[in-house]
Parts: sequence; structure tokens; C-alpha cells
Amino acid sequence: MKLQINEKFLEIDAPEDTPLLWILREEAGLTGTKFGCGRALCGACTVHVNGDPKRSCVLAVGDCVGKKITTIEGLPAPDGTLHPVQEAWIAENVPQCGYCQSGQIMSATALLAKRRAPTDAEIDAVMSANICRCGTYPRIRAAIHRAAQTMRDQEQAHETPQVPADSAK
Amino acid sequence: VNETEISRRGFLNALGVAGLLSLGCEIGCGGVRASVIRRADQTGDLSPNAFVTVKKDGRVQVAIDKAEFGQGVATMYSTLVAEELDVPFDRIDFHFADSLPEYRTSLNIQLTGGSSSTREGYLPLRLAAASAREMLVVAAAGEWGALPSDCKTDAGFVIHEPTKRKLGYGSLTIKAAHQPIPEKPKLKAPSQFKLIGKQGKRVDLRQKVDGSARFGIDVVIPNMVRAYVIHGPVFGAQAKSVRADVAKKMRGIIDVFAFPGGVAIVAEKYWQARAAAPFVDIAWDDGEVEGLDTETMRKAVRAYSDDGDSVRNDGNADKAITHSTAKITAIYEGPFLAHAPMEPQNCTALVTGNKVEIWAPCQAPSLVQSYVAHALGISDDDVLVHTTLMGGAFGRRILADFAVQAAHIAKRIQRPVQMIWTRESDMTQGFYRPQLTAKMRGGVTADGRVAGVAIHSIGQSILLDSASAVPAAIPGVPRGIQSVITSSLKALIASDTITDMFTTEGISDTVYAIENFDVSVTPINTNLPVASWRSVGHSFNGFVMESTIDELAHAAKIDPLEFRRRTLPSSSRAHRVLDAVAALAKWGARTPGIGRGIARHESFETEVAEIADVEIVNGRIKVRRVFVAVDCGTVVNPDIVRAQVEGAIIFGLSAALDQEITLTNGVVMQKNFDAYPPLRMHESPEITVQIIASEKPPTGIGEPALPPIGPAVANAIFELTGIRLRRLPLQRAWNEAHA
Repeated sequence: MKLQINEKFLEIDAPEDTPLLWILREEAGLTGTKFGCGRALCGACTVHVNGDPKRSCVLAVGDCVGKKITTIEGLPAPDGTLHPVQEAWIAENVPQCGYCQSGQIMSATALLAKRRAPTDAEIDAVMSANICRCGTYPRIRAAIHRAAQTMRDQEQAHETPQVPADSAK
Repeated sequence: VNETEISRRGFLNALGVAGLLSLGCEIGCGGVRASVIRRADQTGDLSPNAFVTVKKDGRVQVAIDKAEFGQGVATMYSTLVAEELDVPFDRIDFHFADSLPEYRTSLNIQLTGGSSSTREGYLPLRLAAASAREMLVVAAAGEWGALPSDCKTDAGFVIHEPTKRKLGYGSLTIKAAHQPIPEKPKLKAPSQFKLIGKQGKRVDLRQKVDGSARFGIDVVIPNMVRAYVIHGPVFGAQAKSVRADVAKKMRGIIDVFAFPGGVAIVAEKYWQARAAAPFVDIAWDDGEVEGLDTETMRKAVRAYSDDGDSVRNDGNADKAITHSTAKITAIYEGPFLAHAPMEPQNCTALVTGNKVEIWAPCQAPSLVQSYVAHALGISDDDVLVHTTLMGGAFGRRILADFAVQAAHIAKRIQRPVQMIWTRESDMTQGFYRPQLTAKMRGGVTADGRVAGVAIHSIGQSILLDSASAVPAAIPGVPRGIQSVITSSLKALIASDTITDMFTTEGISDTVYAIENFDVSVTPINTNLPVASWRSVGHSFNGFVMESTIDELAHAAKIDPLEFRRRTLPSSSRAHRVLDAVAALAKWGARTPGIGRGIARHESFETEVAEIADVEIVNGRIKVRRVFVAVDCGTVVNPDIVRAQVEGAIIFGLSAALDQEITLTNGVVMQKNFDAYPPLRMHESPEITVQIIASEKPPTGIGEPALPPIGPAVANAIFELTGIRLRRLPLQRAWNEAHA
């Protein structure tokens, strides 16, 4: 079976019904994705499959063939620059123990890819799938708003027409 | 005891063996100094004690003897060292200390619990850094032929003030190591602090947002195999027989066998072991708690008389209550609670001959040493524990049961084994906050004051279940004697010669001035082990005490804030914190449809008062806002204090509203987060925290914000609806009141 994980291809030999979580952790060596409940109840194992947040603890690896899998390790730019959501997590001092945060961040990035300015209700609807026992929810909410702002600002900076330097000629 | 004495004892304690040797030095030996010099000559680094190493490149390595599970100890200790050593914060590196004798800094145990990280480290870590700083100063002064008193330190340099010459710490380490280790290093005055009270960032943020932080479950050791464990349906059940013919032939499977505690499926990969689990047939024995039924237990306890073993007896509570103008009788009840940290219990172990190496997400590495050694019949010193990062702890990881299981499996396999429990095992394998009951009688006088209160607490003794840890805390006790001490201690507790303070803590030592006050306790026992759960006895007793006071306030027809004010000693810290939260929340203001409840509690030397705004929407209790005032002494990192308060409230609300562990015929009914629901984001309240400025030494912060939240919510529900909920979890009590 060939998997595409974080833009890289990985050939794996495992039964198709093996949960993706354990393939990521044990075969791909990507331990940022965490085991929490094994039943899609806590969100600690959240990854993106074709951009959608999925609970990898109940997702059969066989169903991921031909799809793009992104884990927390694949979120920063190739030069190591963190995703605006990760930066916002640092700015808001979100993590305590940190164990659930990969899953939280993957849920949040998937949300922000679809909603540029999510309301609290929209944040709740998506983020209530992820449990944090340390109780970082108020900071996660603040970090999502902050990241949304940063991403909107970046987009705007991108879209502002640039006058070419040689246009005066 | 004054602060200097505390600091002296704390310093020696923190320096552990090195510290004890220094004490020896006072009567004439040079062992520590010689080893500091030897180490510097070998490595070029200055290591004057077990906590601080100034490297020859000018960076500073801090050994964190505590476990980090989000309470921020790595950041706190890094801050304390950077402050006293005068180095930039980003020049600090840290690691978690292995289970070595010099790190047994909590009653001779290496333990993280009791909200002790900052309390216990505040002076020792600063002294350890100040000691290194003074040695660097003397070394630099020697270089210049100058007086140390003419030198100051800043940003990793020693500076000769008259000439402005400067030398970096890295260039001074070897010379500094040859200087005498200061006996009483001078600490900064609070007015000189540059980082303490100001430093806001954590040291471990990047690794916790990019997935690179390594928790216990992420440990990888060369040649390591994985173990999936099946536990019996009843706590303590042992496998009578295991049929695993099919499973053993499956891909990757190395072995399937019963061990003390369960059945292990060991494979090259965890996913292989997991896949084989359905093909293993196990016949279990009856276990240790067969027949245990929490509802039966509850009914039996409700029928208990009002008399227990006296813990406190001031004045004459019976008489005062009899003659009071308004009386209340109540039974408060709280269930067993699981810790349910996000990272399920796991442990990596390697057994080689008589030596064991453990990599564990654990709160008490030295207890892991003792329990593993005992289980395998070897000596404590033959067990080395590496403490990893951990995904939550909350008291559960003080236990060593999971490490003992991993050691049993590793002993058989003779390769490094990583054992990972399922969430279901994590939740059903005991060590809960005990199921607790308090029977209260109280009365108020005609002029609106407390006449008397009698509280009878009934519950399983956390002390009894912790007794086996006590001898491990006494140095040099042979194993045979340890078990004698344990059994004697258990007998003393069981016979009530030693009272379990945990069952009544927060009640018997309340700061409320109650003239006629009777507190008694009746221990009960089950074979289901109980343990410390975030805020221990206070987790329930805050609810008992603050429900009691609220009920008496309403019986006296006095505002609950005012009633608390008049029941507290007038100049007390509790008074000030209560007034602060009342001002923060504007206590007198009310919004239609929203009930307000107030509660305060002191635990781990910290005073916390909270006001909760509560609504009931379609039968669901919704906590909208929580206002908090907290006095935890000197604050090292204000943002971490706020984070701990927010966290304790959300953790406490999960339990107060919804969580309970129940058993039917010995079987735990809640196996995963669906049946044991933690609060999720959509129900998380807005939390506003005010920290009261203080120059007193730091006190606990990981736990103290938890006890007031349950009663604040129950008191708000009473204000809103007139219904007094006395049983936790509150949502269940509400549902039953409306069934």
C-alpha cells in the first residue's frame, strides 16, 4: 500500500483495516499524532485527509490510499516556519501538558481553511470534538481568533496590487 | 520557623546527597568540592550542585526534579535559575532528572504532587543558582586581582564595576569550580527581580505545537517491542487460563501470556498486538472487588448514624444546634472519580539480569523504583527511572501499578517493551477519588450567625491506600522491615489510631470561626484502591463546607457573601480574597434567568474565591462565567497561575456537572469519554482571574481553584431555582430532582 503523508510517499505493508493512527506513529515515525481514546471521542489523533479533519484512530489505512494525509509534522512550511495557527497557539500560551494540542491544532487549521472569520458558535461546533483535560479551551478559542486575523491579514497583503518597480519607465 | 531556617533546610534537602555531604563538610570533609573540581576538569562545566550546571559555552543546564504535566514546572525552575544566576532566559536548557537519590526532595520521595512544584522549588532552585553565581564572581575577581564586592553580574557576564571589565560565564567555569561552594549564597531581594513575577512565556511551547514533544507513549528504544494489555472485567482479576493459539500465529506476535495484573500480547508493533486481541480467549477469576456496587454502598452509608470518630470538637455543637432558631440537616454525596488524563497509562521497560531501566510518564519516579524493585525481588538501586513528559497526571501517575505491569512483561520478553493501555483500561483499573459522604447538621442564631455545625465524613481512606508508599520514603530501611512498617501503619489507620486527614481536610481545618463545631469521620473500606485526585480530600470537602455555609446563610436569610464575611475572622486573607471576587464580579448585580453562586476554599496554603453565573437551558446546567480571586503568595509566572486556575476550574466543572465512576457487581460502568464526559469547549465558561498581590512565599496553584467551583455552581442553582443539589455530579442530581 502506498500512502501520501506530508507530501512524501511511504510504502507500507499492513492489513487494510489497521487504524491510520498506528501506521503514522509506528511505520511513518510521526508521533505527534496522539492516541487518546481509540473510539473517535477525544480528537487527540486528528489529522487531515484531503484537507478534512479525520480521527485517525478509527480510520482504516486502506481507505487513505490515493489521498493526501497531513499530520502536525506536515503543518509548518518546508523551511520550518510555523503555520499561523501554531504561531497563535504560542502567542496565547495555549499548551499545558500539550498532549491533545496536535489534534486541537489540526481541527483548528481545517476549520480556518474553510472559514476565514469563524464565530464563537462555529468554533464551538468544530472544536467540541477535541477534549483537553488541562482545560485550555479559553485560550484555544482566543488563539483561533488570533490566527484567523493573521491569515486574513496575510491574504490581504497578498491581494493588494503591487506596483511594479519599473512601471515608471 | 523563619524564612532563613526554611531556606537553609530546603537548600540542603534540594541538594540531596550533595547537600548532605556539604553538611558533612561543615565538620571537616571536602568530598563535594573535590567532585565539583573533578567534574569541571573533565567537562569544563561548573556543577556546584545537582540542579544547575553552567556550561563552558555559557549556556545553563537546569535539572528539573519534578514531573512536567502542564503545571509549568520546567518554566518555573528555568525562571528561578535565570533570575538568580543573571543569565538571559533563552540561555537556559532543561532536562528531567532521573531517579537519583539527590532528587528525593519531597519527604525523601521524588514526587510531584500536592501543588508543590513552586512551593518546594522556590528557594532551593534560587539558592542553587545563586551559589553558582557567587563562585563565578569570585573566579572573575581572582582573574582581575579585584574584590568580589566590586563585581556585579548581568546577562551572563561578571562585570568589574570600577573598570567596566567583563568576563562571560563560559570562560569562568573551571576557575569557578575551584572556589569554595558558598554556604549561604545571597539571594536577590524581590525589588531586584527581573523575571520572577514578570516572565510570561513557557519554555516548551514550540515542541508542544509542532508535534515534536516526546511523551511517555512516544519513547522509542532500539530493539523495542510493544505490549497491548487486556485487563479483567473486575478490578484485580487474574487470568485463570489463556487460549491464544490463533493469536500467537498472527503476524508480528512474539508472545501472549498472563502476568500479575492482566494478559499481555507482545508484538513487534502495537497495531499487530492490537489486531490479535480479539483472538485471545481468557477465563478470569473473580477479582478483588466482586460484588462491589456503588449504589448499594451509597444507600448503606446514608443509613449510618451521625456519630463517627472525633476529629475536632469545639464548644458544644449538639446543644447549639438544638437551641438554634433555624436548623438544616443535609447529606452531601460525591462519587468515585477517574483521573482520565489524555495520555493513557503506558510505560517502557527493559529488564537485564537484575537491573531494570524504566521510561515512564510518572509523578513519583522513586516510588516506581520501590514498587518495581519489590515486584521483581530486586533492590531499589537496581531500578533506574527516566521521567518523560506526560499527557496529564492529576494524581493518577503517583501510582506505580502501570510501571510494575510493564516490568513484569519486560522481564519475560528480555527486550525493551513499551506497554500501552487502552483508554478502557485507563478508566476501569481503579485508583479513584473515593466515593464520599458527609452528613451535616447545622443551625443559625436569631441574629443571623452560625450557632453550630456538626459534620460526619464517611469514606474510604486515601491514607490507608497510600500507606505502602510511606516506608519507601524512609532512607535505608531494609525491604523486610518496610513491609512490617506498611502493615503496622495500615493496622494503625484501620484501628483509627492514626486518623486519615484526607477524609476531612478542608472541613476540620477550615478558617471559618465556628464556635460550636463538631467534625467526625468513619472510614469505610473496599478493595477498590483509591488515590489522590486533583485537590485530594478538598475535591469533595470544598463542596461540603461551602454548601453548608450557603445553606446556613439562606436559613438565616442573610446574603451569602455577607454571611461568609461575618463567619470568617475579620482580618483574614480569606476575607480579603472574598471581597476581591465580589468586587470583580459586581456581586450585587443580577441578570434575569442567571443564578449567581459564591464559594471560597483554602487548600495547599492558597486561598481561592469564585463566583459562578449559571443558567439552566432545557434542563441542562450551563455555567456561563466564573470570576476568581486567588492569593497564592509570590507569583513566579502570572500567566501560568492564570492557566492553572482556568484548568482547575474546567477539570473541576467536568466532575461537578457530569462525571462519576459507578460499579455494578464489581464492574466499572464507565469505560471511555462517552460515559465519563469531560467538559468540552462549547460548555467551557468564560473565566476571569484576579491574582492578589503578595510578598509571602509561593503557595500551591495546580489544585486550589478546583474545590470552590462545584459549590459555587450548586449555590447558583439554588439562587436560580430554590433547589438545593447536594449530590455530585450536579446534572444527575438535577435530572433526578425533575424525574
